[in-house]
Amino acid sequence: MASSLTASLNPASSPDLAKRAELSAIDASTKAPALYFLGSAVLWLLVGTVFALISSYKLHNPGFLGNIEWLTFGRSRTLHLNAVIYGWSVNASFAVALWLMARLARAELRHVGLLFIAAAFWNLGVTVGMVGIAIGDSTSIEWLEFPTYATPILFVAYALIGAWALITFRFGRAKHIYVSQWYLLAALFWFPWLYSIAQIMLLFEPTRGTVQSLVNWWFAHNVLGLWFTPIGLAAIYYFLPKVLGKPIHSYYLSVLGFWSLAIFYNWAGVHHLIGGPVPVWVQTAGIAASFMMVVPVIVTGLNQHLTLVGAASALKYSPTLRFIVFGGVNYTLTSLAGSLMAMRSWAEITHFTHYTVAHAHHGMYAFFTMVMFGSIYYILPRILLKEWPSAKLISLHFWATAGGITLYVVVMSIAGIQQGLAMNTLPVGADGHAGSPIPFLTVVAHTIQWLELRTIAGVVIAIGHIAFAINFTWMLVKPRQTATSEPTLFRHAPDLEVAR
Amino acid sequence: MPEWFLYFVALPMALLIVASAVYGLYWASQKGQLQDLEEGAKIIFDQEEPIGRATDHILNQPKTAKPLKT
Repeated sequence: MASSLTASLNPASSPDLAKRAELSAIDASTKAPALYFLGSAVLWLLVGTVFALISSYKLHNPGFLGNIEWLTFGRSRTLHLNAVIYGWSVNASFAVALWLMARLARAELRHVGLLFIAAAFWNLGVTVGMVGIAIGDSTSIEWLEFPTYATPILFVAYALIGAWALITFRFGRAKHIYVSQWYLLAALFWFPWLYSIAQIMLLFEPTRGTVQSLVNWWFAHNVLGLWFTPIGLAAIYYFLPKVLGKPIHSYYLSVLGFWSLAIFYNWAGVHHLIGGPVPVWVQTAGIAASFMMVVPVIVTGLNQHLTLVGAASALKYSPTLRFIVFGGVNYTLTSLAGSLMAMRSWAEITHFTHYTVAHAHHGMYAFFTMVMFGSIYYILPRILLKEWPSAKLISLHFWATAGGITLYVVVMSIAGIQQGLAMNTLPVGADGHAGSPIPFLTVVAHTIQWLELRTIAGVVIAIGHIAFAINFTWMLVKPRQTATSEPTLFRHAPDLEVAR
Repeated sequence: MPEWFLYFVALPMALLIVASAVYGLYWASQKGQLQDLEEGAKIIFDQEEPIGRATDHILNQPKTAKPLKT
């Protein structure tokens, strides 16, 4: 009785199914390619997690699996990185990007075949690359370890998706280009350039000397800033207002954030070489660009915060919002930390320590991966027309991954700062002259306790991933119930305090 | 790699990426994309999913909602 009364007062449950045709048709048109990308993403996530745990455990127990050639640290750590970046993150971003592109262009997906070929090529390329690394063919250039026989396959996939995105945009029906669309288009347009230039200058016709390291870090940092960051922010700028039913607080700021990222980011990667053998003016330019990035970061963080204010109670109900907000907050934190790390005095301590590892995971996991999880929780019910089978597994997924990554980042940051300070210390001897530095091995031995904590954090994260994979598979195989086969699910929304 | 590649291919490409962003901004302003920004924020809402309606609930559903079948 009470429930039916509430239902009739609540606009969300009014029978307006007929009007839902448009969005529903758009969502349905993305089903097949989105599932292909998402399914592969989840598989690679599990593969990457296994290699992560192996590598992490090896850091405090080096003998572990040490007599199996393809599981030695140099390969398992590299396999972890490439599985989670090119396997999980890129597959997930393709799925989220194509779903968002179709919705924002208000057009059904065209040329689904193109996307299928792209998905097949991409996953073939990643598989070939992973096997290549395992058999010892890694190029040993960070972020570009896939052997050269794998990269052309990946490039075909990228080019196809870039072309597809332009077609979708060109034939879109929306007059205004929403800020998420800017981010997606920019990411899809820039990445093939970055990738091909880096491949040519590092692997096919390698440059000499320090120019290699410049190209390497220009590429590796731009993958984060001009590919993963725009996709993550595009998702936040769509899902945050969409879940809350409330437009973004200041659209002006979001547009400013996009254009300042587009114009400043390209130079920032050089800050990885501060103190290194590259011209000082290049380093200084990198530091300046890194600090310019404070503008888009503050703007984005402020905007998300102000959008959420007054509607934060929705965090209790929406899995998407939980993951997205966690990711958004960590975007702000990790980016500001990144700008700080570009200061020479700060880099002196943290460079070449575990602090950098903490920062990388802060960005790629606490921000990007969490945003992808949130997006998947929104997208999958709408393309499969089913609800998620288990809310408990979603909760477990959230708390395990959020808790695990927080522990990870805190632990590794402390470890890195201690490590850096210890390596820089030159104790004063009894006679007042400089004594001898702390032996390197003593510093290494001191980090072991933190590395063990990191493995624990990794296990907690892995539990979250298993919960997610179970829920995902269950979702795919469970039968559709007629009562819930509507494009927009979870429709009996409680009355949230939502400002109009 | 010959040195000219750096100056005549790589550097121009790097500059072109920045130029593409600057051109994009110019194009957007010419097309009126930067006008009436507050309306732009509402573009993702429509009759199907209007402003004021939250669209995603599954955790801790209140009693008034249909219980989640697990």
